Amino acid sequence: MEAQLLILVVGFLVMLAMNTPVAIAIGLCTLLAVISLGDVPANYIVAQRMSNGIASFPLLAIPFFILAGNLMGDGGMARRLVDFASVLVGGYRGGLAYVSTLTCMMFGAISGSATAAVSSVGGMMIPEMQRQGYNRAFSVAVTTTAATTGLLIPPSNVMIVFAVVAGNVSVASMFMAGILPGLLVGLSIMLVCRLMATSCQDFESLANLPTIEGDSNAKGSASQPLAQSKSLVGTAFAALPSLLLVVIVLAGILGGAFSATEAAAIAVLYAFVMAVIVYREVKLNHLPNILLRAGITTSVVFLLISTSQAMSWVLAYQNIPQSIATAMLQFSDNPYVILLIINLILLAVGTFMDMTPAVLIFAPIFLPVVTELGMDPVHFGIMMIANLCIGLCTPPVGTCLFVGCSVGQTSIASVTRPMLPFFAAMLISLLFIAYVPMLSLWLPSLFAR
Amino acid sequence: MHSLKNNLTRLLEIAVIVIMAALVLDVLWGVVSRFVLAEPSRWTEELATFLLTWVALLGSAVGFSRRQHLGVDILVNQLHPEARRLMAIMVQCLVIAFTAAVMIWGGYILVSETLHSGQTTPALGIRMGYVYLAVPISGLFIVLFGVEQLFELVAPLSPSTSSQSPIAESQRERT
Repeated sequence: MEAQLLILVVGFLVMLAMNTPVAIAIGLCTLLAVISLGDVPANYIVAQRMSNGIASFPLLAIPFFILAGNLMGDGGMARRLVDFASVLVGGYRGGLAYVSTLTCMMFGAISGSATAAVSSVGGMMIPEMQRQGYNRAFSVAVTTTAATTGLLIPPSNVMIVFAVVAGNVSVASMFMAGILPGLLVGLSIMLVCRLMATSCQDFESLANLPTIEGDSNAKGSASQPLAQSKSLVGTAFAALPSLLLVVIVLAGILGGAFSATEAAAIAVLYAFVMAVIVYREVKLNHLPNILLRAGITTSVVFLLISTSQAMSWVLAYQNIPQSIATAMLQFSDNPYVILLIINLILLAVGTFMDMTPAVLIFAPIFLPVVTELGMDPVHFGIMMIANLCIGLCTPPVGTCLFVGCSVGQTSIASVTRPMLPFFAAMLISLLFIAYVPMLSLWLPSLFAR
Repeated sequence: MHSLKNNLTRLLEIAVIVIMAALVLDVLWGVVSRFVLAEPSRWTEELATFLLTWVALLGSAVGFSRRQHLGVDILVNQLHPEARRLMAIMVQCLVIAFTAAVMIWGGYILVSETLHSGQTTPALGIRMGYVYLAVPISGLFIVLFGVEQLFELVAPLSPSTSSQSPIAESQRERT
């Protein structure tokens, strides 16, 4: 067992450092580990595990949610959500920061992609915030962190990945479990915005945080206003169809009418009708390109899933997760300590690894540990995703941070300081999510029977 | 070589588009048949998982052609451009080695053994071997694109551009 574990760990880290595509790095060290087992047809086994690992009906929900998100995104959803959020929360002091956060939460939930939320919402909100006198780095920090909440608020593709890897976890209960933690993180980000709006000697350009009307202090008062003149009913009516997508998916799954995959296919149909027929912002000849983009995004994720499934097979074959569980439980049998250690490891992993590969690699390793401690796998999945969301916003590798900085045209270095209070908010939320199981498990328990 | 690669990529892209559309229609048909026709069709889920295998693997090949598979480039970016090029060459070799060993060779054994066993799928009666055929075929494309990129790296006409492009482009389009 030691030999295989050594090959997996060292081989993976070396190849990762060389900038090998992560899926290939996982696949190659898996191949080497299987070869080291001796007398098994290594390349046949890995090929078989790879293709069986992705031939799964539940996983099919992933391309569908990506496709629905692309259709809604191209159909002008971001603008409608910004208008709606502006009317809801834009009137307060520091309003644009709330608008940004709320829009990111809604967009992220619907599109299921944190980077899509940063680029779409950030692309609209960051220039607007700048125009109204907000510090640019602060604007990037708000949008980047808020965008990750979309991975906790359903539908969420990474939850499907977790459910499939964990085995005995239903996608529906993951979706329900994510709602409250997602709202908690979003609200904590808004709370930071509020604290900084009231006491912000630190960020001098925030000292005159304008409301969305921008009448009193905003320098660019001549700039075109967002949506203050629009009515609540009008903007809600425009944004509602986008939000309804989430409701249809959840209601369909929870009502038992559809599987998650079928609900996702219906979401595609719904998004198609909205974007092409109702809003008419997507032309029929755009469709091949939208399908292709969704197909390639899917394939990138699926190649990762397929090689990770092969690696999980080696891990399980050699009882490696059980050995790690035993070792960790020998170190301490206090659930709080173990949970803290797991969270610290995941935080460290998250700084340099993207969320999907991190879930694929570490869910099978840590699940035996936490189930031994009596933790619900659903709760663990939500905690893991909430934890890795932080890593999406941290250097050296943080996809949300990269996209946010490029959309906001700032450097990673300049965003670091305004990020700190938001990291604190996310960490405190993570503590609550980790140590208050009801936060995740209460909603699914309502629908269990 | 370059236009061959572009034509092959285009071919694969069309396949991805068609299969993606077919997947949506297939699953929607499953829903319609259950609720409207009240006669659940048994084949839609099965067909969907096969199409998914094909689209994911063919799409992966497109991803390699477009250099969209993700790596971690922080350490490599600290290197001297020449060392970075050397690293990119080694990575290309790793990609080709893995694909040739597992996807083409392993995939070929997988296909021939499954075809030989005569295993068919329960609802549609398709021979399982044809489903697995996606593995070696996509592998062939990935190796082809890998060799093309290797040539570009080994014999750069303008060294500065070709050593940077694979790294810079991989930053785009992340989920």
